[in-house]
Amino acid sequence: MPVLEATRRQFIRSAAMAAAASVVATRSATPADPPKPPGGIELPVLPGVKWDKAPCRFCGTGCHVQVGVKDGKVVAVSGDRQAEVNKGLLCVKGYHVGHILYGPDRLTTPMLRKNGKLEPITWDAAIEVIAKRIAVAPSKFAFYGSGQWTVPEGYAANKFMKGGLSNNHIDPNARLCMASAVTGYISTYGVDEPYNCYDDIDHCDVLILWGNNFAEMHPVLFSRFIDRKLKGDKITLVDLTTRHTRTSERADHVLVFQPQSDLSIANCIAQQVVAANAVATDFVDKHCTFRKPWKKAGDPQTLMGEPCTFDEYKQFVAEYTPDAVAKTSGLSVEQLQLLGKLFADKSKKILSLWCMGPNQHTQGTAMNNLIHAVHLLSGHWGRPGDGPQSLTGQPSACGTVREVGTLSHALPGDLRVDKPEQAAKAEKLWHLPAGRINPKVGYHTVQMWEQFCTAAGDIDTMWVQVTNPGQSLPNVHKLFEAKAKLPNKFLIVSDVYPTATTELADLVLPSAMWVEKNGVFGNSERRTHQWFKMVNPPGDARDDCWQTIAVARKLFDLGHAGMKDADGKFLFHMTDDKGKEVEAWKWENYYGTVNVDEKLYDEYRPFTQIKHKDVAPYQELTKARGLRWPVVKQPDGTWKETRYRFLEEYDPYVAKGKGVQFYHSVAGDDKAFIWFRPYVPPPEMPDKDYPLWLDTGRVLEHWHTGTMTRRVPQLKRAMPSAYVEVSREDATALGVKTGDTVRLETRRGSLELRAVIDGRGRCPKGHLFVPFFDETKLINRLTLEAHCPFSKEPDYKKCAVRLVKVSA
Amino acid sequence: MTQSPPPPDHPHTATDLLPQRLQRFATLFAAVAVGIALFGFLAGLREPARAERHAPPPADHHSAPPAVGYADLPTATIRPNASWDRSLSQLKFDKPDVFAPVVRTDEMKLAALADRAKNRAYDGAPPTIPHPVDAQSTSACLACHGDGVKVGDRVASKMSHAVMTNCTQCHVEQVSGPVETTFIGVYRAGQGERANPGAPPTIPHHTWMRENCASCHGLVTRPGTRTTHPWLTNCTQCHAPSAALDQVEFTGGRK
Repeated sequence: MPVLEATRRQFIRSAAMAAAASVVATRSATPADPPKPPGGIELPVLPGVKWDKAPCRFCGTGCHVQVGVKDGKVVAVSGDRQAEVNKGLLCVKGYHVGHILYGPDRLTTPMLRKNGKLEPITWDAAIEVIAKRIAVAPSKFAFYGSGQWTVPEGYAANKFMKGGLSNNHIDPNARLCMASAVTGYISTYGVDEPYNCYDDIDHCDVLILWGNNFAEMHPVLFSRFIDRKLKGDKITLVDLTTRHTRTSERADHVLVFQPQSDLSIANCIAQQVVAANAVATDFVDKHCTFRKPWKKAGDPQTLMGEPCTFDEYKQFVAEYTPDAVAKTSGLSVEQLQLLGKLFADKSKKILSLWCMGPNQHTQGTAMNNLIHAVHLLSGHWGRPGDGPQSLTGQPSACGTVREVGTLSHALPGDLRVDKPEQAAKAEKLWHLPAGRINPKVGYHTVQMWEQFCTAAGDIDTMWVQVTNPGQSLPNVHKLFEAKAKLPNKFLIVSDVYPTATTELADLVLPSAMWVEKNGVFGNSERRTHQWFKMVNPPGDARDDCWQTIAVARKLFDLGHAGMKDADGKFLFHMTDDKGKEVEAWKWENYYGTVNVDEKLYDEYRPFTQIKHKDVAPYQELTKARGLRWPVVKQPDGTWKETRYRFLEEYDPYVAKGKGVQFYHSVAGDDKAFIWFRPYVPPPEMPDKDYPLWLDTGRVLEHWHTGTMTRRVPQLKRAMPSAYVEVSREDATALGVKTGDTVRLETRRGSLELRAVIDGRGRCPKGHLFVPFFDETKLINRLTLEAHCPFSKEPDYKKCAVRLVKVSA
Repeated sequence: MTQSPPPPDHPHTATDLLPQRLQRFATLFAAVAVGIALFGFLAGLREPARAERHAPPPADHHSAPPAVGYADLPTATIRPNASWDRSLSQLKFDKPDVFAPVVRTDEMKLAALADRAKNRAYDGAPPTIPHPVDAQSTSACLACHGDGVKVGDRVASKMSHAVMTNCTQCHVEQVSGPVETTFIGVYRAGQGERANPGAPPTIPHHTWMRENCASCHGLVTRPGTRTTHPWLTNCTQCHAPSAALDQVEFTGGRK
């Protein structure tokens, strides 16, 4: 026995050594060779690098970076220590954001499709092609934009369409992303966007994540929260999720629920708060009224609903007891009670955060309403660290889409095209003749693409800027790829790289990106960021905003009446310091005597004051790492940002002595709505033929369709291609092992993928997860275009799928 | 008068040889010894407890050869992998002597910088992870990178910054494969300035997120960037950081 024991010990020790050796950094045994740059260029060293500030190009967090430039190229990036959002830190995408300019296949020249092939043409010719195409049928033209448009870009496009062409068919990809948050805010508080800010992350005791893989999607904010544990803060993370993720790994409570049952779970919290007599009566009486979605149950729900009494409300939520909801949600009674008790306890500050889970939902507006409702009802609202806040996924979803109003019904400053007095306000600010703005709401994203991709549809020319619908639209077979068979439809795409969208483009325009142009972004916490152009775009690439202005000018020259204001001046008339007109539509003047971005921004600013969303003056933004609106001038001449709206202590627009005032409330009574919205089943559920749920989303290293991040070596090598995450139970049942090729099939399409049992996350039995970043594996050929009736935002998170093993 | 003990009526046993007051513990001692041995034996027979294995790294992973599955063991050829260069029993945690003279040539310095550049996009970028990691949890990172480990010529650097717990936010694993880019990052910080020959150089790079000088200049690191005087640990006493690079002052934008 001693001999055996000794051998065993020796074996274990050597095994441990081997394991240690394999884990410890691998170093090549060959002599280190210095990195070889292409073309034998001298490698840059730090001295001589010039640094300047810019917001990160990727998500809605709005981190600020310092960009290092040498010899006209970005050579380094550093977290900006002066930035309140990220306090000097970045995520792996942010640290490598400089690379996105330098993919070898950047688009550098305009190209027109001739005989099926894209051939280079001049900018003049390209602009003329677009202008003539629009001039023939202005109402059949649509503009599809983005939450990655800078504020001036979106503003110019919106003015061009609604103020110039009297055409409201302009919608952004943000429709697919946070439209439900918008309708949620508007139908709860009467006005869009969070009242609170990221400071809550530093102050809350409990963080509840509603269907949000925070650790991978907003890693900098996640760390800002989770690293508080190191400082000894007693904080609790509750992860409400449909699959176990990196976020769950760090959570105190992981509540894995069945898709769509989030509606019942929220109502169950409300039921428990009511039953426990924990309604914040003082707050609710003073600042809230109750709301039901219909006159009587069974009628179709409406966006603004009907008033209801507390007693009615009590009856509506009464059926959502923990016992009842436990049967459908996949959560236990104890887990549901945990949530109920958290909200019933006023001593703890609760922050709710959400992003795509509740937004990309066929009941997206309802889910947003319900999250606000449980906070308002229980009084977990209005203290720093205590309230609901929605996050966004794009750098300027808030700034350019929500504030500039690049949606098919909206105008800048939260005005609507279909409200005559509001449209008149816009016409006045734009100095347009009365009646220029078309009162009919334009097509939202899904409608717009349906109309473009069917022969009979009345959109025949589409201009896409700063987004990749060929990969990101749901059901891309139907909503995008069908265009291939329609020779009369004309697709214009402004982009920086070849994408799934340029594949079908008839005209491709090479764009400048990020620090190759001036820009302004607005992040998730009402913060407006500004940056300056630092390097030149490659080849003949030019600003998207210039492209829009150049087309507008060409239409002006062709005699389109809409391109003139009330005095007959050009829609984008600009003058220099001496009052001389600047011909900004000529590229050589675009970065000349005036800053076009600043001119457009100054023109836009008065709109933001209409609903007390005053953005800061441009010159203030140049000095700051973003400022949170409303930014209001102080008696001493300085400008002050607002951390919390509607709270007297912070918000200068709250009347003295009011404490809390919802000054844009729907009913005009300064009160917010506490909504009841019932559980509604999803449009497609797993059944006999398609027995599994399919969920799609992102991974840490890639951003959206991967156009940029898949060209960054460090990011692509970290996550080279899409895969399907399969639960161990389903894999065993189907005889699938990690690495096997499997085929996913839905009613809309099929796709072969590599199976991974427990990849980035762990799916529960009956669920699959596929990231959507990979253009070689278009998962959106499988997803469903069914959308929320109010926000028109599709649900990418749940549809029915089956999995077939192809090969081992 | 004390009574003498009765004469022994049987041969001496081992127990009899122990001092008398220890004798009563002997049985207990023996029982405990047997118990421990038995427990140890049984514990040794058992499969070692380990966390559930997650997905293995892809087959083309550059550093870890795939393990042979249990089912394939009888037919598999098992032999040392390419990086097997010494007997494992000779590998030991070795930390150079603080006072041992440090040899550092320009060639070694360049080699160290080149090696460093292999897993960094530019000087200041978070290094990528050159080995497989758990896709879901970062709980194991600190085991090696908390203090730094050197086994043979393999180095796990000590973290250059204070502990932050979401490691994979910035550091990501890599698989091999070419990805084209024309980005050329700052390769190195260059040299610090010296007031006069022999004066200590200033720190040429930012120290934000690199507060821990020993991470790159300490004993457990690449020989080419090692300090010549590791016994002096108050680095900034002589080597001044740059307020500009460290973004200490609020710098505004520009006109």
